Amino acid sequence: MEGHSHGFGLSKPSWRSNLSVVAAVLIARLKVISRYKGALLMETFMPVVFAAMPILLGVAIAGQNAGQYFQQNTGTSNYKLYMLIGSCTFMVVSVMLWLVGYWLRREQETGTLESIYLAPAKQVYVLAGVTGYALIRTLTAFGTALVIGSLLFGVNPLDGNILGALGFLALGLLPLWGLSMLFGAIIMRVKEANSIINVMTWVVSFLMGVFFPVAFFPPLLKWLAVAFPPTVMNDAMRASLLNLSTFFGSWYISLAVMLVAAFTVPLLGYEVFARTGRSIRKKEGVGQY
Amino acid sequence: MSSIVKVQELSKAFESKERKKGEKKRTKRVDALKDVSFDIEEGEIFGLLGPNGAGKTTLIKCLTTLLLPTSGKAWLNGYSVLDEEDAVRSSIGCMLMGDRGLYWKLTGRENLDYFGALYHVPKAPRRERIDRLVDLLHAGDFIDRTVETYSSGQKMLIAFAKSLINDAPILILDEPTVTLDVPTARELRTIVEQLNQAGKTVLYTTHLMHEAEELCDRVAIMDHGEIIAIGTPDELKKSLGLEEVINLEGVFPPAALRAVEALQGVTNVAAKTESGGRTNLSVIVKGGGSLLPLIIESLMKNGSSILHVRPKETTLEDVFIAKTGRTLDVDTRQIVQQGGGSGGRA
Repeated sequence: MEGHSHGFGLSKPSWRSNLSVVAAVLIARLKVISRYKGALLMETFMPVVFAAMPILLGVAIAGQNAGQYFQQNTGTSNYKLYMLIGSCTFMVVSVMLWLVGYWLRREQETGTLESIYLAPAKQVYVLAGVTGYALIRTLTAFGTALVIGSLLFGVNPLDGNILGALGFLALGLLPLWGLSMLFGAIIMRVKEANSIINVMTWVVSFLMGVFFPVAFFPPLLKWLAVAFPPTVMNDAMRASLLNLSTFFGSWYISLAVMLVAAFTVPLLGYEVFARTGRSIRKKEGVGQY
Repeated sequence: MSSIVKVQELSKAFESKERKKGEKKRTKRVDALKDVSFDIEEGEIFGLLGPNGAGKTTLIKCLTTLLLPTSGKAWLNGYSVLDEEDAVRSSIGCMLMGDRGLYWKLTGRENLDYFGALYHVPKAPRRERIDRLVDLLHAGDFIDRTVETYSSGQKMLIAFAKSLINDAPILILDEPTVTLDVPTARELRTIVEQLNQAGKTVLYTTHLMHEAEELCDRVAIMDHGEIIAIGTPDELKKSLGLEEVINLEGVFPPAALRAVEALQGVTNVAAKTESGGRTNLSVIVKGGGSLLPLIIESLMKNGSSILHVRPKETTLEDVFIAKTGRTLDVDTRQIVQQGGGSGGRA
């Protein structure tokens, strides 16, 4: 039988213990998704289908001259790879951006969010675990979709600076995490994810310039678009892979902008998320949905 | 003995927007907890009793840091729920939402392992602890199946095991036997008693009188966000003093109930309708059995049909009826919405 105890976790948790929280959340989420048969496979094909639509439309409208017209406006005639990179990056952005919001809703609905808030683990480690899971899932799908798409459309992404593109992707994930927490804070308050996500998905794809360069936008909209960190990430990745100049002209200005966003946006996002959580606990409690 | 849970004038008010037809939107305030104070001694099983909507769950949520109180203070295991949330969370094991709060696509063992990590239980002791809990709850047959395949009783057992994973000194159990069959509920109560004998302090909410009487060292009865009585089950029953309970079964029109209420010496009347249309009537009287002929006469004159008159031992529900005039089956929130206060008739 149980002996008299003062419980675990009363002393300050070690880094190993916090890491164990991250790992537990990540592994649990991977186990859950692996038990929904076919979910990961379907996700891999989504960006390929998403890119195929404008590519086929371009071929239908401009025929053999599609690449030539495209080069006049974007600097590259490789419109297939341009759009494939755009849609693959957009998939990573959508999954990462709505990650915290979707996670919160799912946990609220299953009743597990209260169980998580009852435990002494810091939210930031739980969120890190959820993010780690999303990264594994999306980056696997990103890589696979890029390979399948390249084979299908007959393009070679390895011609460009692949390491530079991956570097920009890795750096761009940090502000995305911050934005995800900001969005999660909104979901925690309004308690409805689907309608917001349905609208915002199109706004995000538009702002990111998934299928076209944001330089096309009128001035105000153009600056609004580049104030959105995923747009800068997408632009910099394309510039690396297609040997184009970035929106800002030089790659190091894009790098500087992304570094600033990588430091500030997650801090802002976590602060807003934590404050919203506390404010909700003053009102109806986190489990209310 | 020292207090391991200390609650001082804890209050919680909820505000919500309400719009009635033809009126402007206005803010409605509901006082779910009103200056609640009590202590729980180390090693006690303390019961919280009350009907739905009495404020039990709000109180539990404030004590477990899920809700921030509007005013007042509380300490668990010496830690403040306002300023030392993580230490409070480490000091308690909770079962709050029945079988909710588990991941259905994970096995019972995977759920326990996951929550063990969230409570900072190191890996090796965590495995050992899960094995011990599986033995304790006889869960070996189903622990490695995904939770979605469990019966509700099995889910409740794993939810209970989850509350024990961090081996905390305080156990907070909110209606833990609610979906269990009778033998499993009895077994779970036995385990709670054993855990208590091994040193754990238990805060146990229920609306089942027999459960509270069987298990709890002390009981607080809540209604409308307040503690209306507190003490050992015996003390509470004795607090009725000269009052006695007469229990009748039959069919009683409202006029008959009003007539009985009007009798001198009758302090409260509460009716609970059972399946089949029969009603159990509890009449709290001063002066004992001498009032029985008058009560029967009043009921018969007003069109009642009486099937049984039973002598009855005083129960905790009678204490609640004596204090509020209602049975525990009535949702307090409905009384508030209907504009009634304490003492409304069931």
